[in-house]
Amino acid sequence: MTVETGTPATIVDTIQHEIPGIKVTKQGERRLRIDVARDSLPALLELLKGRLGFIHLSAISCVDWPETDEFELVYHVWSYERKTLASAHITIPRNPGRFVSVYDIHTPAGFYERDIHEMFGVVFVGAPNLRPFILTSWGGPPPMLKSFNTREYVNQTYEWVDYQPDWLKDVEAKGGGVEK
Amino acid sequence: MEQKGTKTRPRKLYEVPNMDVTPKNKGSFLRPLKALSFLFREPVTLPMEPRPAAENYRGFHVNDWEKCIGCGTCAEICDNEAISMVHIPDLPEDHKNGIKPRRPAIDYGRCCWCALCVDICPTGSIALSREYIHISREMNTFFILPDEKGMHGLGYPIGWGKNEDSDLLDLKRQPMGEVEPEARSDNFDEIVDGFDAHTALIEASRCIQCGMCHEACPTNMHAPQYIRAIWEGNVEKAVEEIYRTNPFPQVCGRVCTHRCETACSIGRRGEPVAIRWLKRYAIDAVSPAKVKKIALADKAKKKSGKKVAIVGSGPAGLTTAFDLAKLGHAVTVYESKEKPGGMMRYGIPEYRLPYDKLDADIAVIEAAGVAIECGKAIGRDIGFDALRSDNDAVVVATGLGQGRSTRIPGSDQPGVFSAVDLLARVTAGESFDLKESAAVIGGGNVAFDIARSLARLQKKTFGKVDVTLVALEARDRMLADEEEVIEGGEEGVKVFTGRGPKQIVVENGAIKGLETVLCLSIFDEEGRFHPKYDEADVILHPAAMVVEAIGQATDVSYLGKDVTEALEWERGRIKIGRDGSTAVPWLFAAGDMVEGPDVIHAVAAGHRTASAIDTFLGGGSSKLEAAE
Amino acid sequence: MRPENYRPVSHPPSHEYELYFGPNHPGIEGNYAIRVRLKGDEVQEAIADGGYLHRGFEKIMEERLWIQNVALVPRICVPDPVPMEECYSRAVEQLGGLEVPARAQWIRVMMLEMSRICAHLFTFGGNAATIGFYTNMFWGVSMRDLFLDLFEEITGARIYHMYITPGGVRRDLPEGLLDRLAALLDDLESRLPDFEDLFFSNTVVINRATGTGTISAEEALAWGVTGPNLRASGLPFDVRRDDPYLVYPELEFEVPTMKDGDALARMMVRKAEVLESIKILRQVIARLPHIEGPVRCPLPNPLAWNIPAGDTFARVESSKGELGFFVVSTGGAKPWRVHVRGPSQMHAVQVLERLLARGRLEDIAQIMFSLDACPPEVDR
Repeated sequence: MTVETGTPATIVDTIQHEIPGIKVTKQGERRLRIDVARDSLPALLELLKGRLGFIHLSAISCVDWPETDEFELVYHVWSYERKTLASAHITIPRNPGRFVSVYDIHTPAGFYERDIHEMFGVVFVGAPNLRPFILTSWGGPPPMLKSFNTREYVNQTYEWVDYQPDWLKDVEAKGGGVEK
Repeated sequence: MEQKGTKTRPRKLYEVPNMDVTPKNKGSFLRPLKALSFLFREPVTLPMEPRPAAENYRGFHVNDWEKCIGCGTCAEICDNEAISMVHIPDLPEDHKNGIKPRRPAIDYGRCCWCALCVDICPTGSIALSREYIHISREMNTFFILPDEKGMHGLGYPIGWGKNEDSDLLDLKRQPMGEVEPEARSDNFDEIVDGFDAHTALIEASRCIQCGMCHEACPTNMHAPQYIRAIWEGNVEKAVEEIYRTNPFPQVCGRVCTHRCETACSIGRRGEPVAIRWLKRYAIDAVSPAKVKKIALADKAKKKSGKKVAIVGSGPAGLTTAFDLAKLGHAVTVYESKEKPGGMMRYGIPEYRLPYDKLDADIAVIEAAGVAIECGKAIGRDIGFDALRSDNDAVVVATGLGQGRSTRIPGSDQPGVFSAVDLLARVTAGESFDLKESAAVIGGGNVAFDIARSLARLQKKTFGKVDVTLVALEARDRMLADEEEVIEGGEEGVKVFTGRGPKQIVVENGAIKGLETVLCLSIFDEEGRFHPKYDEADVILHPAAMVVEAIGQATDVSYLGKDVTEALEWERGRIKIGRDGSTAVPWLFAAGDMVEGPDVIHAVAAGHRTASAIDTFLGGGSSKLEAAE
Repeated sequence: MRPENYRPVSHPPSHEYELYFGPNHPGIEGNYAIRVRLKGDEVQEAIADGGYLHRGFEKIMEERLWIQNVALVPRICVPDPVPMEECYSRAVEQLGGLEVPARAQWIRVMMLEMSRICAHLFTFGGNAATIGFYTNMFWGVSMRDLFLDLFEEITGARIYHMYITPGGVRRDLPEGLLDRLAALLDDLESRLPDFEDLFFSNTVVINRATGTGTISAEEALAWGVTGPNLRASGLPFDVRRDDPYLVYPELEFEVPTMKDGDALARMMVRKAEVLESIKILRQVIARLPHIEGPVRCPLPNPLAWNIPAGDTFARVESSKGELGFFVVSTGGAKPWRVHVRGPSQMHAVQVLERLLARGRLEDIAQIMFSLDACPPEVDR
């Protein structure tokens, strides 16, 4: 593996040289934010991993933005030598929520893509395993979507305990009671 | 210490590890048998009783019912919604002091013992005890109403209680800028700067939305709502919330007696939220045109065809007028003075309430369609009978315009003034015989208003201040607001407390000074006003003029003989119902002349009266709404 | 006795069979299951099956005020709750621009290292139990209990401390706590030879754990292995040193590593880390009394507390590896999104599946525990 050494500035230079139209922002000493067009993301991850040493995929985060009808996918990659975390942000349309898997670049993506598929319903084309993992007996919509209302679901699904302790009966007899 | 941890070693990616903890330290295979030696050690024995919990322990709740005010903030912060408030009719309810008859109940099926309820409690009544064992098959035993003895009444000591480190409430107010005493002592410029957007936001963020202020306010202003709106940066929403109950935001944002702040839960252990200044911030931050639009959004589009006359343009009269005009009635307000506003203009000095701010409030009221006829005194310019015959209803709200006299020797001298009279002259810019030294009798806000006004005039005219204020009450029981006493002192007013006026000393027709005696007690055993003095303890306060500020009375001679006789009276005041109705069906009364004591009460009375008149006139509001 | 209606089911002849491991196997920290396909005692395929501890934390956190989540986050990992509090709090601090006072930073380091020791002691016990050494488990758990006593003193709770909060910690240390901590560290150190005799230098243990569940350095990097498991494969990476937070740069400590990458190496790395944590705690005990000041920066009223819009990724080295919180704020009173990246999400799923596929039936529990995987962290 060949690794180019250098400061974050050269990371920025390299990325910007290779992938035009990309926006790189330094956010603190060891943090880079990269805003990239979704089609360029695999190339960016390849570049970061192959040329700049960002070999550790720390996480893939998904954020639901109903207002713009988009999912934001954030790929956090860490370089052990440069001691820098680069977070690559892309957006994909919500309907259909589809994106290409990066499992072939980063093995850990397998878990995160499966998780995002389960929780947000995003389909990752080429992902090795999108079978349900946590919600194996769940029939409802992907629960992490903002449109899924937990409280509503709980109220529909469960019964609240109706406590009737003696003290409450006394209070109710006097005209008081639990305030809603 | 040298920062050793930061040293970076030159290291390649697959460098040989820096510390190989070489294991495979295989000993004899008998080595593990050493553990058998434990067989001969003394066994650890623990008593069967529950182990005492740590001092900080977060066990079952305790709640001191004496301290608890039922604000419900614990229920608000509870992340599991484990706390609900229980209304307990036996408990005292005190809106003025912010106490609600309810206490928190806790569902131990939901509680996670995070103790955020403890950290946020405004009173410090709730705490987590060091009790931690409860075993039962009975579900109902898991829903408890804790008192200071805890869920089993065992009186375990407090574990996680109120603590300065973990307190989540901001007990300090945002500082309020004021004009320095030197800069304000010779003019009538407004003293208080008001919040800027940033400090207002921070101050608004202190509010815990418990609503005690709403209950305490005579007109039930929606303070929690407008404070939240200010915090959200939505001042227009705040103004909308304010106008729901109060057409005098500029006035009340400056001079309100702020009952809300007295009741504020944050004030239990800290400084209450500056609700009054927040109101002022909101109204100052919105343009007058926009305020009008917001305030008149609910104005009825159709006219009712009914006419109402209102005598007096103080807060009670104008609030009544504003409400009635919005309901579609034709309202005319008659004011004997040159400008509208009553005591707000002629009683409150300009340094507390600039006239243009009052004008702004009144402009909104006029925009609602209220006609204000100034310089028209009923009884002098227009007969009361004419009012009666021209209108469907009449409201009298003429306030307390007459100063009371002490009637001590010398009080009939020229050079002895009544405070209300003099304050009105200051406002009107009328000249009077200002002396280089003055004494003020009285310890209320009016006494300070005139004392501080005189101080300013003296400073402007003579370059120095010589005003003495003599109050009957002791310093810690002064009737005036604390800030009045402090600011008055800063402006050079000399305050004598616990002294009663004996006589005004006159020599050769000129006032020489005010003689006072030590006051031993103000009330007799039955609680009646009956001061006792130590006649031996006499002080002469040199002064060339004396102002009496010991209270005001009303003048209702304009009513005429017939109406006066038809009305019911109670200790010199017209007897009214809660809605301002009198014994004469078409006549209503509101404000200081019947109730007192301040602007916000007058506003509240105005709303009640307007609503009663609307009903009297046939419920214009509901009919109009139905017609739309 | 067979019931009367028993009819034996006949299967087609096969050498393979499926076995369900879990979901409440004692060799696993928390409920988790593994479905293994075996041929004799050789594992052909292993499929991790989570979700038994799913409580929807990430979703619930979107419904709660910033301060309320303090009560929720420690529950994400039972054996090692403090890093969760630290990581969440730091994410909020980064978004809200809060400065943590020096004293609070040192207290937080103390809490984190105490929690690390607790977690490792727990794993000592668990590791031992998976191969039948229950005595070692009892010792480990009872030692851990003494630390829990101190947690109880500091925070009022033994496991879910809810003590670290955005801006600092909730209250200062009780009188004399550092002395008691120092005594406990001495006690722990004096007990370590017992562990050594019974377990770590036990011929049976060493023979049993050597070569079990081996991960090469290349595999560790490719599979996203972090923490002690990564270091056991010879890679000296530690968030505390590489991406430092709090006052770790001021502390002297080593990052222990092993080369072999097997169950034994992972155990040994953890043992060495306990010693490093003791070292760090002793430095804290020496320094903390000289650091005065508040333990929390002023916070706004938690009921009216908006965090400026933005997103951040906060990282902490937990006892299990790299813990990350990706927090998104839209400027409101509640987080818009909180994504928890637990190290076990790698270790307990893809890494575990791969390692088990190389192992045998009797290794399954040991491999799972040697990875110190924490199922609640996977399920959230």
